[in-house]
Amino acid sequence: MNLEAFQNRVLPAKNKLFRFALRMLGNDDDAKDIVQEVFIRVWNGRDQMDQIQNMEAWCMRITKNLSLDRLRVIQRKGTDSLDKNFDVQHTDGTPDVKTELGESMQHVSQLIAALPEKQRQVIHLRDVEGYTYNEICDILELDMNQVKVNLFRARNAVREKLMKINAYGL
Amino acid sequence: MRMDSKKLEELLQKYWDCETSLEEQQQLREYFCSVNVPEQWKETAALFHYFEQQKQKSVNEQFDRTMLGRIKTSPKGKVTNLVQTSLRIAAGVAVLVAAVFFVRQEIRNNDAVAMEDTFDDPKKALEETKKALLMISKGFGRAEQQAKKINLLNEAQEKIQTKSTEKTEL
Repeated sequence: MNLEAFQNRVLPAKNKLFRFALRMLGNDDDAKDIVQEVFIRVWNGRDQMDQIQNMEAWCMRITKNLSLDRLRVIQRKGTDSLDKNFDVQHTDGTPDVKTELGESMQHVSQLIAALPEKQRQVIHLRDVEGYTYNEICDILELDMNQVKVNLFRARNAVREKLMKINAYGL
Repeated sequence: MRMDSKKLEELLQKYWDCETSLEEQQQLREYFCSVNVPEQWKETAALFHYFEQQKQKSVNEQFDRTMLGRIKTSPKGKVTNLVQTSLRIAAGVAVLVAAVFFVRQEIRNNDAVAMEDTFDDPKKALEETKKALLMISKGFGRAEQQAKKINLLNEAQEKIQTKSTEKTEL
């Protein structure tokens, strides 16, 4: 793979990788670091890259693995940085809360942030990025059944809580 | 985008059941993000707005330049990979060789004791074997004599017992 192929085939996935890393880490700078690391790895291993069929899914998989490693490092560093990270995650990208829609979107953001890790990853890949089930299986290294179960649980957990908010304002 | 409420309900139910295709999900997203939705779907609309908003997040424009700069200055991964791989293989081979050496030495030591020849002349060897067998048979003979003594004691005990029982019967 030469520089031109790298720019055309790999670099365009940057925003998807960034959003996925951001979803997992909840911090812009960490997410950017991860994306750069992914691209460096791809570039360093460029001689073997021709064998990879779905380059984007492969990059997403590396993003997931590196983000998980980074999360472990953050957790090892102590609860201070973890709390800081969670704060960012809850308010991350929250819309203007002044409007009614903005307030509801903030609820949604908090509901999704509170989901278990796998469910959060699956709902992000399907509902934000629009990946097929097969691609999600590739990225998360899960089988089809696990992907569908996680998506079902994630959507229904969100739905249930949204209904409660709608009915009781909770 | 216009959609009658029955169709919308059906599509939403499919969405919650994880049965929608990506195209159907796109229809839902477009609907909820483009019109004033009825009050009953206010929270659901917030969910789709949230997904749409998440998808807008991106790295800044300088990212590509920074990335390409890093790629050009990054050390050639192939060389470092080759060195690392060679070192790993060398370490593995060294462990294997050491293990084989020690195991062979252990086996040789054991065999040396068991298989060592003590006599060159077969006649001498036969005589020595006979002597050894004689020693063993003598040992057996002595043991037999001792066993006979024990038998004598047993017989005497039995006789005493029978006499005592006869006396009691009388």
